[in-house]
Amino acid sequence: MTAALSVFISRIGYTKVGDHWDKSLSEIAFQASKVLLKEEASPPDAIIIANALSELSSSQGNLAAIVADALDLKGVPAYRVEAAGGSGGSAINLGVNLIKGGQMESVLVMGVEKMRDLDPAKVMQAQGLSENADYSQFFGISIAAMNALLARMYMHEYDVTREKLSAFPVVAHKNSSTAEHAQFRKKFTNEEVSRSEAVADPLRVLDCAPVGDGAACALLVSEDKLSSEQRKSAVEVLATESSSNLVNFFERPKMLHFGATEVAAQKALKKAHLSMEEIDFLELHDSYSELTAISLESMGLSKQGEACNDAAAGRFDLNGQFPISTFGGMKGRGYPVGAAGVYQICEAFMQLTERSGFNQVPNARFGLVQSMSGIDSSAYVHVLGFAGRTGRN
Amino acid sequence: MLGNKCEKCQAEFFPPVNICRACKSIDLKPLEMPGAGKILSYTLQKESVAGFEEQEPMVFGLVELSNGVRLVAQIVDFPYESLKIGSKVKAVFRRVKADGPSGQIYYGYKFGPPRSPRETSATEE
Repeated sequence: MTAALSVFISRIGYTKVGDHWDKSLSEIAFQASKVLLKEEASPPDAIIIANALSELSSSQGNLAAIVADALDLKGVPAYRVEAAGGSGGSAINLGVNLIKGGQMESVLVMGVEKMRDLDPAKVMQAQGLSENADYSQFFGISIAAMNALLARMYMHEYDVTREKLSAFPVVAHKNSSTAEHAQFRKKFTNEEVSRSEAVADPLRVLDCAPVGDGAACALLVSEDKLSSEQRKSAVEVLATESSSNLVNFFERPKMLHFGATEVAAQKALKKAHLSMEEIDFLELHDSYSELTAISLESMGLSKQGEACNDAAAGRFDLNGQFPISTFGGMKGRGYPVGAAGVYQICEAFMQLTERSGFNQVPNARFGLVQSMSGIDSSAYVHVLGFAGRTGRN
Repeated sequence: MLGNKCEKCQAEFFPPVNICRACKSIDLKPLEMPGAGKILSYTLQKESVAGFEEQEPMVFGLVELSNGVRLVAQIVDFPYESLKIGSKVKAVFRRVKADGPSGQIYYGYKFGPPRSPRETSATEE
């Protein structure tokens, strides 16, 4: 049997997350990729656009061709992936598999989202699109309220206080305070989080990822496409796995467990021949505080009900045992929904190539990225390693 | 609240499923869900989704019906402060949101106290 083809991330690009009032979806996609595309000798074999909300936010469909055209990629096959908040993770997973399947040698994955032009009621509607249209959206429940139902159950089941849950936004904002591309470069105390305005009791505004515009891209290439010199500065995708789950968390036998995340993480670690103990940092889908806690527990990084205590004890800080959301995650860096999973990849790339400045995790060799659609209705887990330090090449 | 029931293994579902989640059978029959249930979780939603502005703020609950089926629904006629995990609730038929653009009226289920205020006052009289 021949060894499986290796796939690398050779370059990345991204914009700051926040307000891009003056630019269209296509224009922010161009801003994120212009340097990368200019310096590449030839165009990619394909482009995959990750986007969740363009129809609602910008009255724009046909996004694959629209963005490819804007990037002057005439002739390049263009696709669009929509999987709500997991669009970016899904696009990376598909792009890697296209290359592993031998169909393509290089794929540009471009995550792009614009949310800030929408009025608040429309934002609520847009964020809720991931939930069942007839049985959830129809009754007017927001995604924040759906998360609040899960959060209260989590807190009740494990006797977790409001103050304890605040540990995660505190960690996220500590990291985003020094991240140049983050939407909120500001630290918050535990008390500020706990006492911030209620959005959907028990969740406060500082538990919920902010709405932002942004674009991020990653160039995926097969090993054959890289010179030995280029390979030294590239990050290897050691594994990328995905799993789906019952969409409604309340229909699951174990409501406080993320089965899709668990399965995708286990499969990805197995394929990468790594144990969780060998992972140096994690980028998590932390758009609501309880999602972070349940994700960590589902992947075995904390005992059930203990994630908040572990966070308060510093286990997930930049200098802790398992640093998470190293540039602030969805919470601090910001949450451009469909693009978020590609921002995570860019951030893992920066960690592994030691370009993270104040946010650098020392000696980061292996990183795990978790991205999800809805409340673990689908999960995408990628394990990345730096060719220069994995000791495998 | 029309769900369904597996003819083979008797599992009950709401919303109705195409394939039984317990035994994979596709032999399922429609089944009306029981109206009685209890609260497993609840929240006060401060900001409204488009079309629901006039009801702001809305209370939502995760309800477990007496047959074990769980669903999410709006909670009405129940003072938020007195809601607790374990509170008993009952399904009621209500107008759901603002009328549609062509004047259509959206109806559906919500959950209220086991005895509605009207029933309570009728009993007292």
